[in-house]
Amino acid sequence: MLDVEGRKIAAELREVFARGVDAPLDDATFDALARRVFAYQFERNEPYAAYCRRRGVTPEDVDHWTRIPAVPTAAFKHLTLVCGPLEEAEAVFRTSGTTLGPEQRGSHYMLDLTLYHASLVPNFAAYVLPDGAELPMLALVPPAKQVPDSSLIHMIDVVMDRLGADGSGYFVDPAAGILEDELDRALVGFIEQGTPVCLIGTAFSFVHWLDRLRERGRRYALPPGSRLMDTGGFKGRSREVPAEELRAMYAEWLGIPDDHCVNEYGMTELGSQFYDTVLRERVKTGAAGPRHKVAPPWVRTRVVSADTLEPLPPGEVGLLCHWDLANLGSVLAVQTEDLGRETDDGGFVVLGRASGAPPRGCSIAMDLLLEAAREARP
Amino acid sequence: MSEAAHGSPLDAFHLPGLDPAEIEGWTVRQYGDGVALRFPQLRPDQLTAVLRCLREHRARVLADRPVAEIVAAIAAAAARLAREGDPRRRVALEALPAITGYSPPMVRLVLDRMVEDWSEPSLLSLLRSEFRDPGVLDGFRPHPSGEVGQRTRAFGPELAFHIFAGNVPGVAVTSIVRSLLVKAATFGKTASGEPLLPVLFAQTLAEVDRQLGECLGVTYWPGGSAALEAAAFEAADTIVVYGGAGVAEDVRRRAPAGRRVVVHGPRFSLGLIGRAALAAGVVDETAAQAARAVAVFDQQGCVSPHVYYVEQGGETTPARFAERLAAHLARLETELPRGAISPAEAGEIQAARADAEARAIAGADVRIHAPRGTGFTVIYDADPAFAPSPLNRTIRVKPVADLADAAELVRPVARLIQTVAVAGAGGRLDGLAERLGRAGASRITSLARMPWPPTTAHHDGQEPLRELVRWTDIEE
Repeated sequence: MLDVEGRKIAAELREVFARGVDAPLDDATFDALARRVFAYQFERNEPYAAYCRRRGVTPEDVDHWTRIPAVPTAAFKHLTLVCGPLEEAEAVFRTSGTTLGPEQRGSHYMLDLTLYHASLVPNFAAYVLPDGAELPMLALVPPAKQVPDSSLIHMIDVVMDRLGADGSGYFVDPAAGILEDELDRALVGFIEQGTPVCLIGTAFSFVHWLDRLRERGRRYALPPGSRLMDTGGFKGRSREVPAEELRAMYAEWLGIPDDHCVNEYGMTELGSQFYDTVLRERVKTGAAGPRHKVAPPWVRTRVVSADTLEPLPPGEVGLLCHWDLANLGSVLAVQTEDLGRETDDGGFVVLGRASGAPPRGCSIAMDLLLEAAREARP
Repeated sequence: MSEAAHGSPLDAFHLPGLDPAEIEGWTVRQYGDGVALRFPQLRPDQLTAVLRCLREHRARVLADRPVAEIVAAIAAAAARLAREGDPRRRVALEALPAITGYSPPMVRLVLDRMVEDWSEPSLLSLLRSEFRDPGVLDGFRPHPSGEVGQRTRAFGPELAFHIFAGNVPGVAVTSIVRSLLVKAATFGKTASGEPLLPVLFAQTLAEVDRQLGECLGVTYWPGGSAALEAAAFEAADTIVVYGGAGVAEDVRRRAPAGRRVVVHGPRFSLGLIGRAALAAGVVDETAAQAARAVAVFDQQGCVSPHVYYVEQGGETTPARFAERLAAHLARLETELPRGAISPAEAGEIQAARADAEARAIAGADVRIHAPRGTGFTVIYDADPAFAPSPLNRTIRVKPVADLADAAELVRPVARLIQTVAVAGAGGRLDGLAERLGRAGASRITSLARMPWPPTTAHHDGQEPLRELVRWTDIEE
């Protein structure tokens, strides 16, 4: 739970979030809120304050939200970035293990899940259910109670509970993998009824499932209005499939058209998420438009130079940096390791992680060396 | 940039026996700075014809040529590439920065050092170090056993197919040179990271010695051209492949039975700096050499260090040494600037810095010395556990109580070690070398020599010429 001051700010923020993604939050209003949140965090989050002081920045020096120091995602691995005692956390979400090994997982302590939900629900509804549809949500993830530290699964749990229709459910067992037969029965049933569905899952779980469908020659023609939300990279958990090819597979094996496939970009370290605008544009204007993501009004996203961390003009590739008011209980400004570029209309495109680039010469890539070091350990 | 490398695409192939009229299409690769290279789109049957041609030329003009003449021809070509004003040298200096990503001063430095490796004295000493009597490549010579009546002779491959990788200029040429020294018809498939210098070398060699030039083919084709590679595997009796483990396994799987496959995989290097090199009078020179070893090839070479282990108890502490190292890397930013890197590469450096800073805030003894941009990064980290670098001039400095501890710390990854530079170990060098060698390192050297293995170095622990030959003995 947040402290008294935090609860006061959170109440205001919930009001802002409740206005939805179409209610503009002008720069002055965002700035005032962001600086208030920054001052709040600087006072309570000692490692973050130390990070700011190393840069010579205190709340008095910040005359605009753009000058609020962004902590790199790596900081969540080594520091406890939270604005209160740990025992006040209502949940802790952890990043999945990376090539650096399981001991290097980042932790995001949630002092106020209602604020997290207040950001999540209207944003998800706007981009995945822009037509107001109430659909059975079929999730290719295990239930939240089995994986309590996954922010993604928590998120799916909440939207299924708040926005999902009867017949929603989970189709992955942590031990057994994708429950193909159950999923098949559910899909056949909805097809017979003519009920459109919303499939939700990680990109790698979809790849696994679609590979199985292909092996078995099993093809579905899901009712019109059916849609799909996928998220995340592959991290060696399935073969790598480029996003466009994956969407072509969704069309071929599930009958879900391209503009009904919405990719979500989220991270454990952020309270808010980002979605492809295609389905929303399609519903609102009749045309899907270019595929990109936009931040909800309570988040500002900038693309900064990977070399200097200075902001870049639209079109240039750099690292994505987010200022997210939903991160009230931790750190609102987060510097990611994700590459992207800003589009001309204020949206952005995610281009993947800035890691695993093969060395150009004859030296060895970092992750291969780390892997070798781990293999050698008894 | 002048016209030499600008404007219309440069032809980056040397394919004796291919009729230009038969080229059906072109692959053009655009690099930055207006540099473009052009390669013919070969059909497998065209490639097979080129390879047949190389073999026939070899039988006619190379198989019986004295090795001394081959050395002289290669050295003459190298001398041309070393001469200011040589048109191909100019093309190399102008185009390689855009192609490889190295800065112009780096390209010049690397080219000049590599060309020395192809000089007559270097090649003769390579031949002598591997064969003692290089005449074994020309005819039967007394067997090293010294037995009366026993003689021996070395035969190189009839056709060696080289698959190159990486962007370090000169590595591919050195491979070609070795192959020609053992009188193999030689065909090189270049890497997209550096497809130019091998061609400039081949063209120069053909000019210096037409016959030798007709035994050498070089071109590029995009990865995954399985039919072309199958044709080359079929024609060659020896395959030399550079690249990661996956590439080598793939080649071994696809090569027809009976082919000799020689693999040069990626390796990494590190440095050990002992108390004697940290004394007040010498530490600056130590730091200067250590900085240079990081800067050369922008740390992308297999000879480039990922980490320096610095001994405690000397006149300079490891943490102070890290500062000195940073000062020298800063100086090198002007003298030998780093090349352009991609946002992904810069992002990896930012991630390493972020990780270090977070650990410092968490209380670890970690200090970062770096400019605003990613030009260089020195991370002093009191935790001695081995940690790799994202490269492009990002170096970790770690303290050890004794240099011998470092040998232990890198043991888990030692089979991937190429070079270990050792400074200030005094009489402990042999003992350290013994431990490092046992673990897998193939070269122990000084910081100054670190980036530049001599021609006679055992390449990844093997003898590069002997790896290519087979032997016939006579017992009378």
